[in-house]
Amino acid sequence: MRQVWRVALDLLLEASRRRWFVALFGAITVVLVVLGLSLQLEVVDGALAGSRLFGQVLLKDLFLGQTVLGFLNFAVALVAFHGGALFLCVACSDFAVELLAEGRIEHLLSLPVARWQLLFGTYLGVLALAAAGVLYGSLGLTLLLGVKSGLWSWRLAQGSALGWVGFCAIYAAMLTTAFFVRSAAASAAAGIATLVLGVLSSNREAVAAAIEAGAGRWAFRVLVMPFPRLGDLGQASAYLAMGRPFDALVTFKLALGCLLFSGALLSVAAWWFERKDF
Amino acid sequence: MSIPVSPAVEVLELEKTYRGLVGPGHRALAGLSLTIPRGAAFGLIGPNGAGKTTFIKLLLGIARPDRGTVRVLGGDPEDASVRQQVGYLPERLHLPAALKARDVLRSVSVLKRLHPTGEALRGLLERVGLRDSEQRVGTYSKGMRQRLGLAMALLGEPRLLVLDEPTDGIDPPGRVEVRALLLEERRRGATLLLNSHLLAETERVCDRVGVLDRGRLVLEGSLDEVRRASGRWFLRFAPGADPAALVRSGFTPEGPGWAFAGGDEGPLNQALDQARAAGARLVELVPAQRDLEAVLSRTLEGGP
Repeated sequence: MRQVWRVALDLLLEASRRRWFVALFGAITVVLVVLGLSLQLEVVDGALAGSRLFGQVLLKDLFLGQTVLGFLNFAVALVAFHGGALFLCVACSDFAVELLAEGRIEHLLSLPVARWQLLFGTYLGVLALAAAGVLYGSLGLTLLLGVKSGLWSWRLAQGSALGWVGFCAIYAAMLTTAFFVRSAAASAAAGIATLVLGVLSSNREAVAAAIEAGAGRWAFRVLVMPFPRLGDLGQASAYLAMGRPFDALVTFKLALGCLLFSGALLSVAAWWFERKDF
Repeated sequence: MSIPVSPAVEVLELEKTYRGLVGPGHRALAGLSLTIPRGAAFGLIGPNGAGKTTFIKLLLGIARPDRGTVRVLGGDPEDASVRQQVGYLPERLHLPAALKARDVLRSVSVLKRLHPTGEALRGLLERVGLRDSEQRVGTYSKGMRQRLGLAMALLGEPRLLVLDEPTDGIDPPGRVEVRALLLEERRRGATLLLNSHLLAETERVCDRVGVLDRGRLVLEGSLDEVRRASGRWFLRFAPGADPAALVRSGFTPEGPGWAFAGGDEGPLNQALDQARAAGARLVELVPAQRDLEAVLSRTLEGGP
């Protein structure tokens, strides 16, 4: 197992040298610093009495502080789930492809690392990278809003963590595609397709009703059936961030669906990788 | 009683066919058997498509054979403890462009479970002719990348070094440096397996060579053995020998001496007896040697 972590650490080292990821962490930092300098929140007895952004009044009416923070967290979690997944689909699409590049994979396979360790190490490395982004952004915002308002809530971090589970399924599809076709574009396309089909899977009955009954509707149902319900998971993560009551069992099943989907795809990739000649 | 040491490389009846979606596929190796003793510097030569790179890949577990056995340093090539003792430079090395040379070496060290100091990594980079700079590998020239690849292969003082075209892209003075480095590695006791199209380089570094053609080992032996041109000899006679008598005996003038191309020891001694009878006195006799280029072309043509 140590070699799996070594491969993952190696990937993190490479990511830390890439401009994409330096830019991502830089952008999160800039947003947090700008918000920190320009946002003013005044909470009196739990109610948001005043709010200003760049000196402009944000909310004129009096709201419960936790309610405002809840809506803010909801919006951030939903945008981070879909936007973050799309960004990572593009930014992480070439890690596996680089690893499998002619002249590099031969060298890696000559080292004391088993093939499955390379595969799972790459998977864990990218997930660790996504987790670092999620944690940095969500904890940074939590800290900022907590300091500004005096109201502390860790729900945004919890909701973002649930959203991260969705990316586990997306990256499993990307990694498996990369191992089969060695193309960053195909890998990114597989990730985006998984996200879209996962959202459609959550709304399959409504979408199926819009398709004419017959082969088309049947084909749509078959197409989305294996995909985890990412739309529902994104919504659950937003509700969790907002603090709205949610069904823990349903959420657990959604997360489990993502993990099973990931496990199945990674098993196929590992099986193929083990018997592949380079 | 000494414990028998396993050879560095031992392959038996190795077969490999690359299968496509249609057709019978390409047979890269067809029953190759070869043993490379420890401490040897073995040069693998042959035309393009002879199976040299496939052989190396099977040796390192990068590809799997259809049939036959491979033992490296006495173990399975996919065994982690074996791989830890092997250094490999692939033919077309691809390096992560965003990293610096030091990062690349550190990354390989981690995967090789080594813990070199920063000083040791700097020393290794200097040894291959690179400086520990802030330059990213993506901006390196081909020669610089190749030097870094050599440093990667040398990490951890491996007992077997497998180098596929090690001087590809390196300028002539650099090649001399690389050659000196490989000879240092030999002195350290490492076994070298060199696949190079530069036959003169193989000749200077290796003490054993094997010629591969269409997936088979068609010639193998020490450098002296394979370079010896069978049935051809160079001779020098003491001053005063009658040239006409020497020509009558079957010798032909060549450079400062004479050549005999009439066959092996039997015909040679007959010719010498005849020359001695005519008053000639032999002072030097050496078997003629060919360079590896001639060995390769003669072997592939099926000549002696």
